[in-house]
This record gives sequence, C-alpha cells and structure tokens, in this order.
Amino acid sequence: MTAEERRVHLSYGDAFRLGLSHLVRRLDRSTLNVASIALGLSFYTSLLLTDVFYQTHAALGGSRLNVEQTYYWLVAIALAVSVVGITNAMLISVQERVKEIGTMKCLGALDRHITLLFLIEALLQGIVGGVIGYALGTVAALLTTGFSTGFDIIFKVPVIQTLMFFGSSLTLAILLSTTATLYPAFRASRLDPVEALRYEL
Amino acid sequence: MNFDTVIEMKGLKRFYSLGGETVKALDGVDLHISRGEYVSLVGPSGSGKTTLFNMVGGLDRPTEGNVQIDGVDISRLDAYELAWLRCRRIGYIFQNFNLIAVLTALENVALPTVFAGIPRDEGLKKAEKLLQSVGLGERMNHKPTQLSAGQQQRVAIARALANDPAIILADEPTGNLDLNTGTEIINLLHGLNKTRGLTLVAATHDLKMIKASDRVVWMRDGKVEKIERG
Repeated sequence: MTAEERRVHLSYGDAFRLGLSHLVRRLDRSTLNVASIALGLSFYTSLLLTDVFYQTHAALGGSRLNVEQTYYWLVAIALAVSVVGITNAMLISVQERVKEIGTMKCLGALDRHITLLFLIEALLQGIVGGVIGYALGTVAALLTTGFSTGFDIIFKVPVIQTLMFFGSSLTLAILLSTTATLYPAFRASRLDPVEALRYEL
Repeated sequence: MNFDTVIEMKGLKRFYSLGGETVKALDGVDLHISRGEYVSLVGPSGSGKTTLFNMVGGLDRPTEGNVQIDGVDISRLDAYELAWLRCRRIGYIFQNFNLIAVLTALENVALPTVFAGIPRDEGLKKAEKLLQSVGLGERMNHKPTQLSAGQQQRVAIARALANDPAIILADEPTGNLDLNTGTEIINLLHGLNKTRGLTLVAATHDLKMIKASDRVVWMRDGKVEKIERG
C-alpha cells in the first residue's frame, strides 16, 4: 500500500450533505443565525436601494432626496452585531457537538474536515440569510421611497441596477457568516478526540 | 513466539501532569494480541484501560515505549496516516454508542465509508447490508433517538464494521445496557470475532463478556497485573 492510498477523504458533496443535516436537525439555532444575517442585510440593502430609488425619482424630475449619513454608521454596527451573534451561536454549537466531533475524528475525520463542515454550514446560512435579507431590504426600500415620493416609484424601479445589488448583498452575507464562523470552526477542528470523548454535557 | 501478532505494546508508558503531580496512567505495559483473538481488559476505574485503548486506537501518543499495529510503530505516523488507521484498520465501539444524532442509522453506518473515500452508493449499500446483519434492516431510516439503547449499540457495531477493520476496540460496550440486551450484544460481538476473524479488544466489567473471551488481561495502577485464559 503506497502512502498516496493511505488517505482519508471528505468530498464537498458529502460535506454539504452532512452540513445540511445539521442545519435541518438543529433548525432553531440555524433559523436564528439566518434571521440575524437577514436582518442586518435587509437594513444594508434597504439603505443602498433607497438611495438608488431616490436617484431614479430625481432623474424623473423630482427633488433629490438623500439617505442620512448616520444610517450608514448604524448599518455597519448592525452588521458587526450580527457577526458577533453568529460567532456566539456557533461556539455554543461546537460545545454541543464536542462528542460528535470526537467520534468523527475516531472514524477518520481530519481537522480540516471538521473545519469544512462548519464552514459549509456558515455558507448555507449566509446564502439563505442573504436572499431573505435582500428581499426584505428591497421591500423596505420601496416602502421608504414610496412614503416620501409616492408609490408610483414601484413601476419605475431600475430593475437591472436593483438586481445588481443582489450579488453584492449575497456576497456580503456569505462573507459575514463565514467570517463569524472561522474561530468556532478552528476551535472545533482542534478538539482532542481523547478529551472530546470523555466530555459530558 | 507467535508470528501473527496484530497489536504489540512494548514498555508502554503514558504520564499526565495533573495539578503539578505526575499521574502514571500507564506504567510499562507489554502485551501481544494475536489476530482473531478476543481479549478482555479488566480493572478498576483509573487502572489505565481507557488510556490503553486510546493508545492502541491512535488517539493518544505514549510518553515512552510504543504500540505496533501490523508491525508499524503508530507513534511514527503523521496525522494523515493516523486518521487512515482509525478509519480503515480500527473499529470503535463506545459505552455511550456515540452515534451522530442528526444522521439516520443508515447514514451513521455509512459515515466511515465517506472518510474512506468509498463512492456514496457503494457505502450506503454496504451500510444496508451491515444493518441487516445486526438485525436492524427494518429501522435503517430511524434517527438514534428513535432507537432503544440496544438498537443504538447495534448501529454502533455496524458502523465499527463499515470499513472492514482488522481490530475492534470496545470500551464497556454493555455498560449502558440491561442484562438481556447486554447478552445479545456480547453474542453479536463474539459471533463477529469468530466468523469474521476480527481481533476484539474489550474493556469491561461484565462477567459474561469476560467468560466469552480468549484471554483476560487484569490491569491495576497502569500495569498488567495478571493474564488469564478465558
């Protein structure tokens, strides 16, 4: 048997399936994480889109309205709070799964397989949170603009420009979710299987 | 001289420092275990059984001495080779079953085949066969919480067999089971040992398990106290 054959594996497909099982089975926690991302992101998206819609309004001959600068500070703080919240939730999740992580290592998992599992969960949460956040944010932006300029803005929305923000919102959501999970994933991967198996909750 | 030694421990020592004091969990253990042998490890808690297990299982490294599995000193293996050893050569059975709660019985049994890089269909097919062989063909899609303790231990045994290991390490496998279920599990393990030629090393307090084994290794204070024929 050569050294090359003596390798353990975890394909992205299998990691994806395992990550999904975790999210679905622990739906309460994953829902909270998704909500945390979605809320932060909806605030972010609504500010950017409100500004876009204000521009559209001005281009159509209306007065130029501006989003207050303070809101951008608030959105930065909201996103930071959501990152801290997710980190906390993921750390608790690691603590709950100590035995499970130890068992997986016994069955042949490498440290980086454990990291991968957690990051895939973060990725999935980021995607769902990003999509929901974008949708909520768009609705909020339409309402904000509608109340200040009239609801006919709904029929004049610059569709392509609006959709382009979907890409940036989604990317940001994934980035925040995975950043928040880096430290918990690292902690999980470094667990000593001997300690982990002895651990009682 | 037995040429077919599968596990060999030489002068095995493992010391921990606990609050400034040195705890000698293993204090010079020499032990040969032959292929296909059924060995029971017996001793009071703190006698070093679990530490010995962790050493043989490649989960912990000795302070001194070494463990050879199939003639390979496992303390010389890197993290990848150790993971491979745990995945392909050794099957673990625990007192608390340690099934993955979010996975079904079938997925639990198939999990080691995932790490072994066996294609998914093949792994699931294998898992199905193993579950049938431990009498759980009807409960493959149940989650661990939907199974009784005895059934969970059967799933764990099937999982331990998933990659056709040569060695099964069982740490108090009947410790959390009632008398009848425990006997069933012992018979199952004993049968596997005989029919598949698996080397079975079991830490136990269970007299029935001790009686079924080929050899009984009594441990005390990190040393082998005596070895008896079963």
